[in-house]
Amino acid sequence: MRACLWCGRPIVVPVTLADIWHWGPLPTPIICRACRQRLQPIGSAKCPQCGRQQATVQRCHDCERWDDAFVNHAIFPYDAALKAYMQQYKFQGDYQLRLVMQPLIREALAREHYDVLVPIPITAATWRTRGFNQVTGWLTGQPFQQVLTVSAASKPRDQSSKTRQERLQTPQPFSLVAGAATVLAGKRVLLLDDVYTTGRTLRHAAAQISLGGAQAVTGLTLAR
Amino acid sequence: MTDTSEQLYGRRVPLAQAPAKLTGQTAVVQVGRRWRCQRCHQLAGETDRLPQNVPYCRHCLNLGRLTALTKLYTIPEPNRFRMVTDSPLTWSGQLSPRQAAAAEQVLARLKTRTSQLLWAVTGAGKTEIVYPGLAWALQQGWRVAWTSPRVDVCLELAPRLAAAFTGIPQAVLYGGQPVPYAYRQLTICTTHQLLRFDQAFDLIIVDEVDAFPLATSPLLQGALRRAQKKTGCHLYLTATPGEDLQRQIKRRRLAVTYLPLRYHGYLLPPLTVKIAWHWPDRLATGRLPRGLVRQLRAYRRRVQRFLLFVPHVADIAPVLRALARLGMTHGVGVHAADPQRTAKVQQMRDGAVDFLVTTTILERGVTFPNVMVAILGGDDPVFSTAALVQIAGRVGRHRDFPRGDVVSYCQSQTRTVRRAQRMIRQLNRRGRRLGGQA
Repeated sequence: MRACLWCGRPIVVPVTLADIWHWGPLPTPIICRACRQRLQPIGSAKCPQCGRQQATVQRCHDCERWDDAFVNHAIFPYDAALKAYMQQYKFQGDYQLRLVMQPLIREALAREHYDVLVPIPITAATWRTRGFNQVTGWLTGQPFQQVLTVSAASKPRDQSSKTRQERLQTPQPFSLVAGAATVLAGKRVLLLDDVYTTGRTLRHAAAQISLGGAQAVTGLTLAR
Repeated sequence: MTDTSEQLYGRRVPLAQAPAKLTGQTAVVQVGRRWRCQRCHQLAGETDRLPQNVPYCRHCLNLGRLTALTKLYTIPEPNRFRMVTDSPLTWSGQLSPRQAAAAEQVLARLKTRTSQLLWAVTGAGKTEIVYPGLAWALQQGWRVAWTSPRVDVCLELAPRLAAAFTGIPQAVLYGGQPVPYAYRQLTICTTHQLLRFDQAFDLIIVDEVDAFPLATSPLLQGALRRAQKKTGCHLYLTATPGEDLQRQIKRRRLAVTYLPLRYHGYLLPPLTVKIAWHWPDRLATGRLPRGLVRQLRAYRRRVQRFLLFVPHVADIAPVLRALARLGMTHGVGVHAADPQRTAKVQQMRDGAVDFLVTTTILERGVTFPNVMVAILGGDDPVFSTAALVQIAGRVGRHRDFPRGDVVSYCQSQTRTVRRAQRMIRQLNRRGRRLGGQA
């Protein structure tokens, strides 16, 4: 019997007559039904600009304050389940948990219209301690261009440990790698990140991508 | 010696900065074609790899991730404590003659460094019985851990031990503790925390050794083994040893001290079984088994408070509705995820409610002075033998109300139910020999 990748409880797969009739390998889910039900995607009621889950379809308060044209899509609300997931995956460094989100990211990427996929990079110090980039871990063979770099000196603290005000005042941490312009020129670029909180990080990245000559820049995040 | 080396005495921990003149051990090492974590000694899954194919351990991830690149540091336990000349026991209570006899036996075995089990019925005063032995061990300069699989047991115990041994500094360790680790002679911790120790303790006291998840977890049992010094010993405390421990007792591999009588000298109430056919179907139509209804009506007439155990959280609401139809409304339901759990238990203690409908979460650790117990569906797999005996132990805990009923309504007599009855009978037989009263 398989154990759920996330909660470790055994997965019980009910075998129906149809499964037997199909005469193939049984579908083997990697997480149990309870864990799957904890993950509730954002429905149609959301902010058209940042993708936040809300009651209306008007532009949300935070986006009013930004008052720009950067559009982000998000898959999940950043609720208790997603926080628990990010805690284990990103902060405890459980790289295996990437498998939970891989199919969801694949579906979400298929819905987006873009030419170049640019994941948000992590600093060299994070590479040493975490050992993986939490964003590229979700990709399953989709081509991407790592045209952004992030300097460690500009990130003395994690974004997640700051208040909203502090986050908004973060200076530009990203820069373009050499030769980025040839990749970006005239292309529609999709930025991929884990969590959209204030939108600061994505907008910093988007600004650099635009400087690189991209035609359009949008964002996709796992959570908002 | 500096402060950091004190942090490593008898420990097995990763460090951010490698200390000079100390070689670390690789945390995840290759064993054949698999990889084994050196902290929890479990095999890493085949696919548990970081991008550069670096294996890491998912079993003890909660204590901080270990990979094949991490190093673990340890300094052998030096027992560097302030010498205690007088007895460190500052507890002023009195042991009853029976408790004192058990304490004496525990102490004698400690002196010969024999690993042992203290099998004392619920409500016998296990903690206090250990005090003389613990005092002696601390006086010898032993490093001692008092652990339990349950964090609430640890949290309840720490202030009691602090009051009973005022001169002994203690460290309390559990997941998410607010204070950092400190090197202390007496460590109170959850069994998970023992994974961070390496041959540190001369004596490990394991409270509620049969409780979940220790009983079924090879990871935690290994942690117990490795945290104990080669020359050390352990003392298990329980009211309901599992099959495995009972087998060890029978084969005389484990020394045992029995205390089959409660502190007030009365026997445990026997577990009565009544057959209630198809009670889930009856409950679905809003009715309870007839015998149970008769029993609860009788309690109501006598204004007798009671606990009603049900197998699952989903059963609580229908049972409450069925009771309400019988006119019994002065009760509430409690389950593990209930935000008002502690408040409701307190209401029951204060007498604000007349009964609780609950699951196995109240099986141990709670004391109500005068309650009767009914179990609906005692044959359900969630009620283990230990759980049933513990539930029976909720009854008659007070000197003034030492008797009571424990009735289980089952669809059939199962092995777990019969084992629970047998365990109570055996304890009572021993108790009667010591002059216990039914």
